[in-house]
Amino acid sequence: MSTAAPGVLRTTLGTLLSHYRRHPGQLLMLLLGLWIASALWSGVQAINASARESYARAEALFSADLDRIARRDGAALSLDDYLALRRAGLPVSPIIEGELSLPDGESLALIGIEPLSLPGGAPLAQQDGDADSLRNWLIPPYRVRVAPDSLAKARTLEGLPPLEIDPDLPPATLVTDIAVAARLLNMDRHITRLVIAPERDVELPSAFVRTSTDALASPGQLADSFHLNLTAMGLLALVVGLFIVHAALGLALEQRLGLLRTLRALGVPARTLILALGLELLLMGLTGALLGIVSGVILAQLLLPDVAATLDALYETTVSGTLNLPWYYWLGGVAITLGGLFSAGASMLWRAARVNVLALGQAQAWRARLRSQLRLQLLFGAALLVGATCLWWYLASTGGQQDLALGFALVALLLLGAALCLPPLLAGLLGLLARYLPRRAALLQWSVADLQLQLPQLSLAMMALLLALSANLGVGSMVGGFRLTFLDWLDQRLLADLYVRPSMEQFEDLESWLQERSEVATLLPTRSTEAELIENDVNVGPVALFGIAPEPILRRHWPLLDTLEDREAAWSALNQGAIFINEQLARRQGLAPGDTLQLKSPASLITLRVAAIYPDYGNPRGEIVLPVSRLATEFKAPSGTLGVVLAPTEDRAQTLERLQNALRQRFLLTGEGTDGTPLIDQQALKQMATEVFERTFAITRALNALTLGVAGLALLTTLLAQAEARRAQVAPLWALGVSRSRLVLLQIGQLVMACLGTALLAIPLGLLLTGTLVAVINVAAFGWRLPLHVFPGQIAMTVALAVMVAILAALIPAWRLWRVPPRQLLQEFAAA
Amino acid sequence: MKRLLAISLLFIVMLVIGWQFWPDEPPSTTSYAGLGESSGDFRQALPGTALTFPKDHGPHPDYRIEWWYLTGNLVAEDGRRFGVQWTLFRQAMAPSNPQQDASETPWTSRQLWMAHAALSTPERHHFSERFARGGVGQAGVKTEPFDAWIDNWSLRAADDTAGFERLKVTAQGEDFGYRLALEAEGPLVRHGKQGFSQKSADGQGSMYYSQPFFQVTGEVRVDNEPVAVTGRAWLDREWSSQLLGATQSGWDWFSLHLDSGAKLMAFRLRGAGDDENGESYLSGSWITPEGEVTPLELEDLRLTPLEYQSVAGRDIPVHWRVQVHAHELDVEVRARHPDQWMGTSFPYWEGMVEVSGSNEGEGYLEMTGYADK
Repeated sequence: MSTAAPGVLRTTLGTLLSHYRRHPGQLLMLLLGLWIASALWSGVQAINASARESYARAEALFSADLDRIARRDGAALSLDDYLALRRAGLPVSPIIEGELSLPDGESLALIGIEPLSLPGGAPLAQQDGDADSLRNWLIPPYRVRVAPDSLAKARTLEGLPPLEIDPDLPPATLVTDIAVAARLLNMDRHITRLVIAPERDVELPSAFVRTSTDALASPGQLADSFHLNLTAMGLLALVVGLFIVHAALGLALEQRLGLLRTLRALGVPARTLILALGLELLLMGLTGALLGIVSGVILAQLLLPDVAATLDALYETTVSGTLNLPWYYWLGGVAITLGGLFSAGASMLWRAARVNVLALGQAQAWRARLRSQLRLQLLFGAALLVGATCLWWYLASTGGQQDLALGFALVALLLLGAALCLPPLLAGLLGLLARYLPRRAALLQWSVADLQLQLPQLSLAMMALLLALSANLGVGSMVGGFRLTFLDWLDQRLLADLYVRPSMEQFEDLESWLQERSEVATLLPTRSTEAELIENDVNVGPVALFGIAPEPILRRHWPLLDTLEDREAAWSALNQGAIFINEQLARRQGLAPGDTLQLKSPASLITLRVAAIYPDYGNPRGEIVLPVSRLATEFKAPSGTLGVVLAPTEDRAQTLERLQNALRQRFLLTGEGTDGTPLIDQQALKQMATEVFERTFAITRALNALTLGVAGLALLTTLLAQAEARRAQVAPLWALGVSRSRLVLLQIGQLVMACLGTALLAIPLGLLLTGTLVAVINVAAFGWRLPLHVFPGQIAMTVALAVMVAILAALIPAWRLWRVPPRQLLQEFAAA
Repeated sequence: MKRLLAISLLFIVMLVIGWQFWPDEPPSTTSYAGLGESSGDFRQALPGTALTFPKDHGPHPDYRIEWWYLTGNLVAEDGRRFGVQWTLFRQAMAPSNPQQDASETPWTSRQLWMAHAALSTPERHHFSERFARGGVGQAGVKTEPFDAWIDNWSLRAADDTAGFERLKVTAQGEDFGYRLALEAEGPLVRHGKQGFSQKSADGQGSMYYSQPFFQVTGEVRVDNEPVAVTGRAWLDREWSSQLLGATQSGWDWFSLHLDSGAKLMAFRLRGAGDDENGESYLSGSWITPEGEVTPLELEDLRLTPLEYQSVAGRDIPVHWRVQVHAHELDVEVRARHPDQWMGTSFPYWEGMVEVSGSNEGEGYLEMTGYADK
């Protein structure tokens, strides 16, 4: 084989491309597939890249890797605490934090730092080593630093010192001198927190406690799971899009087989032919990638505010609302599109390379291999499903904390295996149908046989539809199930009507005052602190301790997942010195009721027996529940929240309002703000939690819907691409006297039938997917398992959706058939 | 063909939409408000300014810079030589504003405090630095009783009744610390013209007095090993509003205890003087054992570097010849070891020296402004 001169290549390429001039629909479909695959993928990647960049900036922020120091009695810190510690030689640094409301209702975080005492290594502590910039920082008119993406917002604030750009800062964050922050936030002598470098091992006065930076809930892992979720969605969309591309390329090749043979017969070397086809792919790929990335950025731009809000609400990580895309993002987008295109086009190139010059007239020869191809697909798909089963079994047997990547691998095996099995299964179904249809229903017989014939062309679109439908169903049930469980759990955990968080000094007064009120039925005090968990003499790090009052109302409602004997026994065990642990801790440490663990209390090492495990959705950390009195005496936990359960009354709202007003007047407690608010209404709390929840899954839902839309498009484009060929097959029926309206109905019916079959197969697959999501992915990502809920209404909706998609997709070709003049049908009949 | 046209149109529309949605390039800079500083000036050190004590032991916030500068030459029972430094610097970042700003908070201050502590052992050199803003109480200086502090470092009256002549000083770094009692055996010494010390040929200068007669007892701690020490210390007090003149690059500053009981303070400000090369400004004080001061001018004093060594990447003269003809002094001053570099935010060489020649003795040498090689 030899390559011909460039001129031949050019002519060959031109000849090949001329095919698309005659069939622009195919070009459209090809570009559409590429466009969609690359748009969704690059959109998701843009979101991820942008968020990661925000995290990197947040982590570079001074406070991120510093230990915190708080007062043991839980009181607010003041300048005097700072001075006392500094004069004792402790290298602590004060930080004042707060929110500045913008005119548009949003807010910016304001961080006031003291650069002179801030532990070194932090970007601001270094102050560029420039005495002038330090001077500007410390004296009027001062400076405020802000990230470029938040500059415009900062400009809307009045009374700010001159702004300085600092690209290293996280978004929506202003950093300034502590003197400015104290003025803007009216802090006077108050300090939000004291920080100390983790490597400084110093003796703290007993009035203070230190929290290591590692113990502060790290959003990293959680946010990572969130992004992995997004990536998986993007990948699904990419695969669906590539299915379309594959279908389009296959069609384009099949229709050009004759052309290829002619070209070969004219003396174009095979290598030149392949080169020309490769160039064609490259051209398509670059165009598609360009389109896809442009619209991916648009998509990301539209979704990012939601993503940012979700991450902020869920993990308290601030993500910039504007896109910041690193250079590798663009390269990655092009590479994945081209890679996908070539993987989809490889079979086309392979087949084109083996074109038999002599096999003219056997254009449809490959259909003979259909059966063996179906069998191969079934075999391969079954192998993947077996692999998925093995992986499931392995993951189930390991039990504890699992690898999230393995979970997603399981999902991928499941989906791919099922998709591969779909065409053989559909073919089998149609075969059965054909056998049991009444002989006299000739038209029905014909349409089933015809559908069987169409299957090779339709199968890829059907596979895409199957993936999209089952993903839709799976994610839908997971979100729905989570919603039910979560709301239920909120109801069980939020028993009190009102939560009061008094200061240390007020606590006892307030408690006794509340106890005397007639409208108060029960008080549920809580405290929290942390302690080092020791396992096998190894310090495995701090865990959260949560103290509750085991009042009857709490004992009735507090949800428990697993106990040694029964609920009552568990509660009496708690009163006698046992503990409850949350599911996260149980999974992480492999603990079960009856096991023991060791905690380092301020006084000594205590061994505790686990009496029960409780669900703790939304908490990233391991937690231990003890009676509140014990937490106060043995662990020196500061006073925490008082839950107020109202006595049964007819006008709960009014009683609550009265109580809140009385509290405000008597103890000067106010209910404004969200952080450190001393009064929280239970309903407000529930509403907040629910909002966070809804937001979390808004994006998942949006991407899901998009994927389904893409699958519908795949179906439509497939049908459009073969509409002309189909007409040639329908024309004889028309010639036999079947009316056009019946023909149209038949065609719609065929497609509805195929889609219905796909949807029916998607139901078990979707349920399996839900199972994987709640039992494997959730456990790996968040540390808790959700009960599996099945929503029949949702399943029905999915099936209906599939039918809708089928009808919509069939409508355009059907409408065209309807409009075709009989003369043309006659011509096509003649040609067929 | 029409459809092909439609596809290309779609493509163009996509590009245009994309362009619209494209993330804005972040603007590279923001304009500074262009607000200049208030035009208020710092007070200048002038000849004829009278020193009054104990008031002048305290801070002078109207001047730009000021320091309380203690150096000590110590010896352990086993004969090992130690050197200590304890310095508190005050710097005003802006002239104080006569109208108190209504928006001031407890954190508002124009005063910046910086402290350096160092301990030189016969082989090594340990140092540490601290920073604090004024106003909050983390650092400051009070008189009656005298107390100069930053964090847990302090130089203060030994008890509530003691004046400036009985002090105690303490500082801790990561791997060293000291706690010393100081007792003055002589009077305060005013340099230059009754405390006005000229710093360049054009007449600008600083207010400058010293207590060079401290006897020291106490304990130094190196790597958690406590060592009892005795020795002599020298406390400099100086304030001014003029940092180095525009052409001055740094200084070499000697404070020497001679075995005769006399003391010598001498400095060379490099690059702005009126000596024969027109390069450096020299000045000093000859202090008799009784505390009588003779100001030394350029023609009385000769400071000659004899040997340079590479320290912290710079060539530093660690060996000098010091001559004061009028008092028949011709000595070599040699660093006890060259590695007494203060690698602080504003780095310099400061260390114990030994004196040999016409007179034996010891003291401290400070050298600043030697450029990186």
